[in-house]
Amino acid sequence: MNMHKDNMTNTKNINLIDDDVITDPVMEEQIARGISDLLNNRAQHLKPEQEQRLSVARNAAVTYLAEQQAQYSTSNHVAGHSNVLRWFGHAGHSFEQHRVASAALLVAVMLLTFFAVQQFGSTHNLENSDAFLLASDLPPEAYADKGFDAWIESN
Amino acid sequence: MDRIQLAFRWALVSFFFLVAVAVNADEVNQTWGQLTESQRQVLNPLASEWDTLRPWQREKMLDIARDYPKMSPEKQGLVKKRLTNWSRMTPYERENARKRHQQFKALPDDKKRELRQKWNEYQKLPESERAKLRAESPETYGESGID
Repeated sequence: MNMHKDNMTNTKNINLIDDDVITDPVMEEQIARGISDLLNNRAQHLKPEQEQRLSVARNAAVTYLAEQQAQYSTSNHVAGHSNVLRWFGHAGHSFEQHRVASAALLVAVMLLTFFAVQQFGSTHNLENSDAFLLASDLPPEAYADKGFDAWIESN
Repeated sequence: MDRIQLAFRWALVSFFFLVAVAVNADEVNQTWGQLTESQRQVLNPLASEWDTLRPWQREKMLDIARDYPKMSPEKQGLVKKRLTNWSRMTPYERENARKRHQQFKALPDDKKRELRQKWNEYQKLPESERAKLRAESPETYGESGID
């Protein structure tokens, strides 16, 4: 009895809603609560055919949502593969371009480092190479002859 | 997405690494006829035995041919003269020679001169005496680090 009375009050209140009131957060919450109460109350008194229609509609909505999500994830998966093409300029998103540029920069730095190390290493090792050993003041046999060492020590 | 990008970067790095390895492998497997004209000129004393050399021996000889143009004509002459003996030395002897050469380079000029003079004197000893000295001398270096 009391519940019916509350519902009647809520319905009356909602009918009296002025647009200016909705901008007030406190009032907005009260209105939302009123709507929620009304819906809950009316839901208790639905006819079986209405419940059936609602159930079918809900299932259709859930199925539709699931299909949408499945399509979204599939298209993302495909897009993931197509990113390889984007790296070669197939698409022009600035974010992707930034990634391509950073990858290219990384490779360029690695190559430069490699060649710099090679160059420095060859210059540094030039005087230590076998060619300079062969052109040394002493022939290579002199360095390798352990008898020569022994003879120097004994003399 | 990130994994694909990472894989792409690694693929690029691996590609360059494999190219470098393949180029090097190709070079050391070249026959005498496949060498360039300038390489053949430098390595001419080894012409008859080049195809029997092992890859690591060829690699060292090709290094010599690479550094040869950077040397003075006088030193180039010495390289050509000594190349055959050098190629016939064992890996152990060559490694020993490299280490001794490093020590020699660090000596002051007067010591270097003295050693040159001593070497000339040592060369005048009979071969039997030099062989005896070698036989009595202990091994200076272990087998590690030989190439």
